[in-house]
Amino acid sequence: MTGAAVVLLVGITIWAGIGVQVDLPAIAANWRNATANIIQLLQPDYGFFPKTIPALLETLQMAVIATAVGSVVSLPLAFLASRATNPKPGLLTGVRFAMNMIRSVPDILYAAILVAVVGVGALSGIMALVLFNIGIIVKLVSESLDGEDLGAQEAALATGGSWPKANRAAMLPQILPSFASQVLFTFELNIRASTVIGLVGAGGLGILIDNVRSFFRYHELSLIILEILVLVLVLESASSWLRKKLV
Amino acid sequence: MAISTSEHPRTSRPVKPTSRLRTTLWLLVSLIVVAAFWSVKIKWSALADFPAQLLKYIALMLLPPDWSQFGEALNATILSVQMAWMGTVLGIIISFPLSFLASKGLAPRVVNAPLRFIFAVIRAVPEVVIAILILSVTGLTPFTGALALAVGSVGTLGKWGYEAFEGVDPGPKEAVRSTGGGTLALIRWGVWPSAAPDVFSFWLYRFEINVRASAILGLIGAGGIGKMLQDNVQFRNWDAVGMLLLVVIAVTMGIDQVSGAVRNKLIHGTWRAPRLAS
Repeated sequence: MTGAAVVLLVGITIWAGIGVQVDLPAIAANWRNATANIIQLLQPDYGFFPKTIPALLETLQMAVIATAVGSVVSLPLAFLASRATNPKPGLLTGVRFAMNMIRSVPDILYAAILVAVVGVGALSGIMALVLFNIGIIVKLVSESLDGEDLGAQEAALATGGSWPKANRAAMLPQILPSFASQVLFTFELNIRASTVIGLVGAGGLGILIDNVRSFFRYHELSLIILEILVLVLVLESASSWLRKKLV
Repeated sequence: MAISTSEHPRTSRPVKPTSRLRTTLWLLVSLIVVAAFWSVKIKWSALADFPAQLLKYIALMLLPPDWSQFGEALNATILSVQMAWMGTVLGIIISFPLSFLASKGLAPRVVNAPLRFIFAVIRAVPEVVIAILILSVTGLTPFTGALALAVGSVGTLGKWGYEAFEGVDPGPKEAVRSTGGGTLALIRWGVWPSAAPDVFSFWLYRFEINVRASAILGLIGAGGIGKMLQDNVQFRNWDAVGMLLLVVIAVTMGIDQVSGAVRNKLIHGTWRAPRLAS
């Protein structure tokens, strides 16, 4: 059993290696290029900072709005996607399938399509992120609903409450702390994602990354990386602090 | 002497205790959200046309999709999956020893701290930026994409790894120590057996993330889904984009199912999702 698994994994790896054209000699031959780039990267062009402020702000705005909208839409969907809170098997299967489908499309694909639909800018980015968020939050929250204690819900149903009322009274309070922490986690993901989806025109720092990349302006790229780094590290520590307080 | 409710009838429900900190936090969060909505530069009027526009583009993409592009879409998706697999394997090879070195109690603190910092830095940088850096070494090839995903995977796998190793039950560890085992014996017999199922499921989970992340790497020339997307969006071949969309959804959902089943098996039937705190 283990032997067969190892053979299978090695086989897949070789297949993948051939597919992506693993090229170790290129690394040996060209590593000097990388050192030259890294030296450039270690000298950020701080003069570029004022030009990045609008894009930086837009990235933040996109992440905040998308997280807010995404979490509001996701909460009821999570209740529909959990076996513990949705008694109708048909609806359950339907919602789960739709959610899996939404989750399987990469955010960049959503962004590229939405840029065509609503135009270049933050709105398309926000919509792409909202879809991305729904996929994640519904999965995580419905999984924690599956694992919750059903005693209180059963009691509520036994007193004649309807399913929505029983879920509202018995399940929602149990799930709120984990919901809050998943939302914060999603916000962190959004910051990272919103720096990237701009590559297809969906607003934020990505548009800037695309510009400086095409002209190999590594000093400016380096400043953008530094900004993302500071932003993510600061927000990550703020959100982990907040998570401890909320949960 | 029993507390009789008839002698002290309650006129109202007991008041819920409030926490000032909680109220402040909620106010703060709402304020930030309102500020973001108010300040963002968006023509909200565009939302009015949105449903009609969306239907129009969905029709352009899917009614019908361009079936002649099916082969190319499948090849592009497979290439992205190969990139993701290679990136995950390389990421596992690099991160596995590093996460032992980053665990408190298995390696000295002077080694723990810098490694944890490196993991945090990597987690902050998007894969596409890592790819731009690697580009100058390996050129515009799928291999560059795989390497970028590998580096990105080290950030998350490294962190999940040391968290799992530090969180294992101390009993087996004490048993190994009491019989005089060294650090290697401690890792092999005290830590690894209890952490292994979690670590395997992290690997699978990271592969699922990499499958999605590999799409974006095509935008800078690494090939795969991103390249085909860009080529066709540029010339507004929406039926080809629709074909790609369908193939990506089918392949990704298939991979998720297989990976979910394997994970289920590894954790012995109990469906416990991996901890997602990145």
